[in-house]
Amino acid sequence: MNPDLLLALITGAALFGIGLYGVLSQTNLVMLMMGIELILAGALVNLVAFWRFLHADSYAGQMFVLIVMTVMALEMAVGFAVALARFRARGSVEMEEAQELKG
Amino acid sequence: MQTFFIGFFGLAAIVFAVAVFRTSSMMRSALALLFSQTALGALFLALQAEFLGVLQIMMMATEMSIMAIFMVMFMMDPGGLGGMDMSHQKRLSMIAGLGAVMLVSAIAAYTRWQELASLSQAAAADEQIRHLGRELLGRSMLVFETAGITILTAMIATTAVAVKVPAENASHES
Repeated sequence: MNPDLLLALITGAALFGIGLYGVLSQTNLVMLMMGIELILAGALVNLVAFWRFLHADSYAGQMFVLIVMTVMALEMAVGFAVALARFRARGSVEMEEAQELKG
Repeated sequence: MQTFFIGFFGLAAIVFAVAVFRTSSMMRSALALLFSQTALGALFLALQAEFLGVLQIMMMATEMSIMAIFMVMFMMDPGGLGGMDMSHQKRLSMIAGLGAVMLVSAIAAYTRWQELASLSQAAAADEQIRHLGRELLGRSMLVFETAGITILTAMIATTAVAVKVPAENASHES
């Protein structure tokens, strides 16, 4: 077992766990987005580590990383648009106050 | 030496990620996330993925600066001077987070990765960029183009959501 690979994967696991904690525990929409960013960052670390230590000759691994980075940027843009619309309509982005979204 | 840098930048990324949810100031949270993502960029450099490392640092610096501006816009107390608590179900979240870390770490530790490995040496930075360019404009072109169209769709959708509807149109819509 390559210790560098294990180190990188544990870093990814820790970022995923911290992000999950953030998504479940925060009440503010912008803070929720920060949690999602951390979860995606955990995925990024894993993808780069897999490319480097398992298939350094295949650049499809780096392609995956570029796609995840695109997803991160889009998540941020769409999230901020929703936050802006919500702030205009209700004057707050607190998710505790968004009870009307419950099905 | 590589192990030291991977460990160091990995630890820095984790410490700053924890700091994101440990401060009541959202401005500090945004800055902590920026440092965490920058540490990740440095970790990519330590993993010899030079292009991705620099891209990560550049993208996240811009993204987190925009996030910090939104924080100031949306928050009554962006500096966190009032010590406002913005969290709920902390215990459940902590259990879920720790459980996820342990589960994923165990999978990482007990999988026999070497059986899946094909090559252990990464090419030099200029070689990598050439190969990535060929990948982007060759085999993965459809994926790359799809990402471009997705960005365009998201731009139109976000503009449609964020633009303020004039009062006379709003009355027709409702």
